[in-house]
Amino acid sequence: MMRFLPWAYLLVAFVFIYLPVGVLVLFSFQSGGLPVPPFNGPSLRWYETILSDPDLMGALRNSLIVALGSSAVAVTLGFLAAYGLARHILPGSALMRGLLIAPLTVSYLIVGLGLLIVLTRTGLGLSLWTAAIGHVVINLPLAFAIIYASMGAQQQNAERAARDLGASEMKVIVLITVPMLLPSIAAAFFLSVTLSWDEFIISFLLTRFDVTLPVEIWSLLRSGLSPQLNAIGSFVFLISVAVVLLLELVVFRRTRP
Amino acid sequence: MTASVTLTGLNHWYGTFQVLKDIELQIEAGEYVTLLGPSGCGKTTLLSVLGGFVQPTEGRVLIGDTDATHVPAVKRPTTTVFQDYALFPHMSLRDNVGFGLRMAGMGRKDRHARAEAMLDLVGLRDAASKRPHALSGGQRQRVALARALAVEPDVLLLDEPLGALDLKLRRFMQDELKTIQKQVGTTFVHVTHDQEEAMAIADRIVVMNAGRIEDQGPPDRVYREPASQFTADFMGENNHIPGNRISTGIETPFGVLPGDPAITAGAAICVRPEDIRADTRGSFQIGNAQLRDVAFFGTYCRAHLVPEQAPDIVLTAYLDAGRAWAAGETVALSAEVEDFRIFDAEQK
Repeated sequence: MMRFLPWAYLLVAFVFIYLPVGVLVLFSFQSGGLPVPPFNGPSLRWYETILSDPDLMGALRNSLIVALGSSAVAVTLGFLAAYGLARHILPGSALMRGLLIAPLTVSYLIVGLGLLIVLTRTGLGLSLWTAAIGHVVINLPLAFAIIYASMGAQQQNAERAARDLGASEMKVIVLITVPMLLPSIAAAFFLSVTLSWDEFIISFLLTRFDVTLPVEIWSLLRSGLSPQLNAIGSFVFLISVAVVLLLELVVFRRTRP
Repeated sequence: MTASVTLTGLNHWYGTFQVLKDIELQIEAGEYVTLLGPSGCGKTTLLSVLGGFVQPTEGRVLIGDTDATHVPAVKRPTTTVFQDYALFPHMSLRDNVGFGLRMAGMGRKDRHARAEAMLDLVGLRDAASKRPHALSGGQRQRVALARALAVEPDVLLLDEPLGALDLKLRRFMQDELKTIQKQVGTTFVHVTHDQEEAMAIADRIVVMNAGRIEDQGPPDRVYREPASQFTADFMGENNHIPGNRISTGIETPFGVLPGDPAITAGAAICVRPEDIRADTRGSFQIGNAQLRDVAFFGTYCRAHLVPEQAPDIVLTAYLDAGRAWAAGETVALSAEVEDFRIFDAEQK
C-alpha cells in the first residue's frame, strides 16, 4: 500500500497541472458552438476557422516577429554586457550588474506603464516596435544573468590562448567565446522567445493597430467563449512545447557528455 | 625560428606587493631555460611578462633585437603552453593546432597540412579529427604544444606544462620536450616548481625566490655549487651545520673547516646527503653518529643520524643500499672538505 502512495501523489499532482490544458485541447476539437460538455466531436472545424482568420494569423506572425527580434536584441546586448563585465575590471561593476538585473524585479505592468508614458510623451507612436522594445527591457536582464553566470575561467583561458596565437578581440569573441558559450546563449534566446511569445500586459499597453497574439486572443475573449479560443490556445501551446523540445534536444543534449 | 630574450631592470608590483625585483636575465637563441622556484616566487609572472600578458611596471623586454616591452600578446613572436592547456573544446585537434595559422591568414589547405604535420611531430596524427575532450591529459598536453609550435614562434613559453600529469608520464614528456626542442630549435622558457624536472630538461636553470633571481647556470653547477643558501636548499636535500668564522677557516661542531670564505661572522654550512660517507676516508671527519632511522630507496638508504659531537643536529645521509643498516647502530661519518658549501648565516 505504502509503495503506491508516492505514485498516486505524483499522478494527482500531474492531473492538477495538466487537466486544464487537457480540457482546453480536448474542447478545441468540439464541433458544437460552446467549449463546454458534452463533448461532441472530434472536429477540426475551429482550427479551420482560426487558420483562415486573417486577423489571427496576422497577430500570430506579429508575435513571432516580436519574439524572435526582441530576443535576438536582448541576447546580443545581454552577451555583450556579460562579456564586458566578466572580462574587464570596471569602476562600479557591481552596481552595473545590479542595475542590469534589477528590471527582473519590476512587474511587467510597471515596465509597460513606464514605457507607455515615455513613448506618448515623446510622441513616438505605438507599434510592434514599441512592444518589442518592452520585451527587450524584460528579457535583457534574464539573458544577461544566464550568460554572465556561465562565463568561467575555462573560456577566459581559451580566450587568452587565442590572443596569444594572434587573434584580434573581434575574432576572439566570434571564434572562441560565442561558440564556447553557445549552450547558455541558446538557452537565453529560447527562454526569451517563449516569454515574449506569451507576454500580454506590455504588448497590450504598447501596441495599437498591429497587435500580438495574446492581445488578439484577449479581444476575442471579450466577445464570449468559443471553441475557437481553445483552438488558438492549443495552437500556441503546441508551438511553446515545440520550442521547449527543440531547446532540450539541440542545446541541453549536447552539453551533457 | 628562434630568438634571444633579454630582460633588463624588470620590476613589477601587484598593488603594493612587489612580485618581481630587479630581474636581469639573458636567454640565448635556441636555449632551453627553466624558471624554477616555489609557489609565489614570481616565476609565472615573469613568464606572463615574456608572453605579453602582463606589462611590467619597470624594465625592458627584448626579443631578438626588438623592444617588445609594450607589444601585446597578440603581436608577440611568443606563444604559450598553458598550465591547463586551454584547448578550444569546440574545435577538432586539427583546427586547434591550425588556429594560429588561421589568424595569420593561411589558407585552409596549407593550414590543415601544417596542423597535421605538427600533430605528427607530437604523435597524434591519427587523432586529428577528434575533439579535445576525447583525449587523455598527456595527449592534451601534446596538442597544446603542437598548437603553440605551429605558428613557429621565436620563443615558446611553457607554464608548468607537466604539472597535471602523473610521474611516469611526466618523465616521458620531459624527454619528449627536450627532443622536440632540439628538433625545432626554438628558444624554450619553461616554468616549474619541480627541481628534478628542471634538471632533467634545462640547458640552464634560473632559480627564483621572492621575486628575485637567486642563481642561474647549468643544472650540475647549480646543484653542486649553489650561489645561495636558498638554492642549496631548494635543489635537492641538504644538511645544515652552524659555524663561526675564525682565522683559520670556519669552526664547526665537528672541527675546523679550513679555507678563507668571504664571511665575517656566522656561517651556514651545507653538505649534500650523498656526500656524507659512512667511513673515515673523507678529508673531514664528522665523527661517530647514532643511526636514528633508515629507509630503503632502491639505489640508496636514506638515513637520519645524530652525531655524538653535536646531538642537537640531525644529519641526513644516503648510505650504501647494499648493506643492511639497523637503527641504533653507531656509524663513523666523514666527507670531503670541498663538498661543504659555506654561506653567510645573515643572508637567507
